[in-house]
Amino acid sequence: MRMKTSRFGAFYLSLFFVILYLPVLGVILYSFNASPSTAQWTGFTLDWYRVLFEDRVIAASFRISMEVAVITSIVSAIIGTASAVVAMRATAGMKRAIQGVMILPLLIPEVALGIALLVFFNSLNLPFGHFTLVASHSLFCVPYVYIMVQLRLKEIDRSILESARDLGATRWQATKTIILPLVMPSIVTASLLALAMSLDDVIISTYMSGPKTTTLPVHIFSMMRVGVTPKVNALCTLILVGMFFVVGLSQLFTKKIHKEDM
Amino acid sequence: MKQPLLSLVNINKYFGDFHVLKDISFDIEQGEFLTLLGPSGCGKTTLLRCIAGLESIHSGDILLNGSSIKDMAPNKRNVNTVFQNYALFPHLNVYDNIAYGPRVKKSMTEAELKERAANVLELVQMLGYEKRMPHQLSGGQRQRIAIARALINEPAILLLDEPLGALDLKLRKHMQTELAQLQKKTGTTFVYVTHDQEEALNMSDRIVVIDQGEVQQLGSPRDIYNNPVNLFVTTFIGDRNMMRVRVLETEATHSLVQFGENVVSIRNSGQHQLEVGREAVLAVHMDKMRVSCHEQPNALVGEVLSVHYSGSQIRIRVKVADRQITVVEYQKIDCECEKGDQVYVTWEDHGAILLPPEDGWAEGEV
Repeated sequence: MRMKTSRFGAFYLSLFFVILYLPVLGVILYSFNASPSTAQWTGFTLDWYRVLFEDRVIAASFRISMEVAVITSIVSAIIGTASAVVAMRATAGMKRAIQGVMILPLLIPEVALGIALLVFFNSLNLPFGHFTLVASHSLFCVPYVYIMVQLRLKEIDRSILESARDLGATRWQATKTIILPLVMPSIVTASLLALAMSLDDVIISTYMSGPKTTTLPVHIFSMMRVGVTPKVNALCTLILVGMFFVVGLSQLFTKKIHKEDM
Repeated sequence: MKQPLLSLVNINKYFGDFHVLKDISFDIEQGEFLTLLGPSGCGKTTLLRCIAGLESIHSGDILLNGSSIKDMAPNKRNVNTVFQNYALFPHLNVYDNIAYGPRVKKSMTEAELKERAANVLELVQMLGYEKRMPHQLSGGQRQRIAIARALINEPAILLLDEPLGALDLKLRKHMQTELAQLQKKTGTTFVYVTHDQEEALNMSDRIVVIDQGEVQQLGSPRDIYNNPVNLFVTTFIGDRNMMRVRVLETEATHSLVQFGENVVSIRNSGQHQLEVGREAVLAVHMDKMRVSCHEQPNALVGEVLSVHYSGSQIRIRVKVADRQITVVEYQKIDCECEKGDQVYVTWEDHGAILLPPEDGWAEGEV
């Protein structure tokens, strides 16, 4: 009986993953297809990658995406960590208030958030570009950093902080020498996540992009209007590889957290 | 007049509506081993945290060498704490843990620090462990490092919050001796919190018994063991038989009391006024009592209910006047009486004490 259930479970799980990942595998496969159509396989080629690297517009939007993502991950790491540390020391009521404000951007639908930001920045007469992109991306990345750092802070024994103060550390010294090193793996993991989310955002970036600052996902989205070319497949394959790399890195840091725990 | 090292002056503390510390006042002398003893939730740890500066007080004052420290941040007070769970910094090795205090205070050069760290590590017998991480140490070793980390700052007072609570029984006994020796060797004033009476009696110069946020008694271990001032201390410290008796007569040194059919003479402790004709509580240490089959003067007559042998001690339960009392005898190979025998229970004079009854006190074996 047990055997049967576990076999069914394994089958179900395999099916789940096949359905989930088969299309992704298709994208990778067709990026090496000599034929421009996805209807048939005519032979192996790296041509689409060559075409991709020669495309100046894609190169430019990739650069913009990377710049925005890196700055966003740094900005949200700082704001998210600082808020979590402040929340830890706040009174219960204050803590709830901070928590609420922090989680709010995750609850607002992105479309609504995008319009709100568009109207807001417009009324400030801010030019749309790097600044608006970083500001809006940070808005939805900060909550993730906050949540991850705050979870880690909860695990830290309060008496460790008390003992730092007791041994002569000022509040800031205790933060710098005890709290930050202990939460650092979480901060790194969270900023990698922020990097990934910023790189991959379409909806908000669509509103926030300026005429000369189109991010890569927005550009891909616009390329789709003329149909899926193998060039897009090649691009998506590269993005996938990059994402796996980032996620792998963050996994490495998560492992480090668990190793350090007593 | 000699100034006490630390004076607690009418300290009051509330957690919300809960009055945790009620008007606590006493002095701590230079170089002593003082223990705060009480049941869990009595406020002893809170009092320790108030001294350390980790909790604020609502009224009263804390004077260290005559000057008030009650509004000082914990990092400014010249006292250090050893926490129950050691609270070592998990990301720093033993040496960096010990060096933490001097480094944040910039109180010594790295060369001095190296020498002092070696000194304190030697004191706690942990030389050679400098490069270990806390998670590579056993509970007892972590405890030693926590103590060394506090001692390197040469605090005026070392505060210890149930430091042996997490250790197993054997190690706990061993660490008791070691802590007491360490205290004598360094001459540092120790304020030690525990709920374990044996620990307190073993290690302390003086004990402060605390219950429900109030100081019940302050005195030497011997004093507290033999002359408890009230029913709480009597029941909390030592194993005693408690009997409700009637006072028949009081004289200069002894009083005559009646328990069932028995009339016995009990010493006056001098602390309590007993009224003739009223009830009183007779408390006798179980291990200060003796059982004999032969008639004895000034004895309670009873019947043996059971005899238990457990290692070096014999526990004999005796029924006296419809009440059970327990007698613990040591250094005896065999009990001379058996179940059902009529016996005479006697006691060492100083092992018995008479107290006025308090409201809500129920007679029983404690």
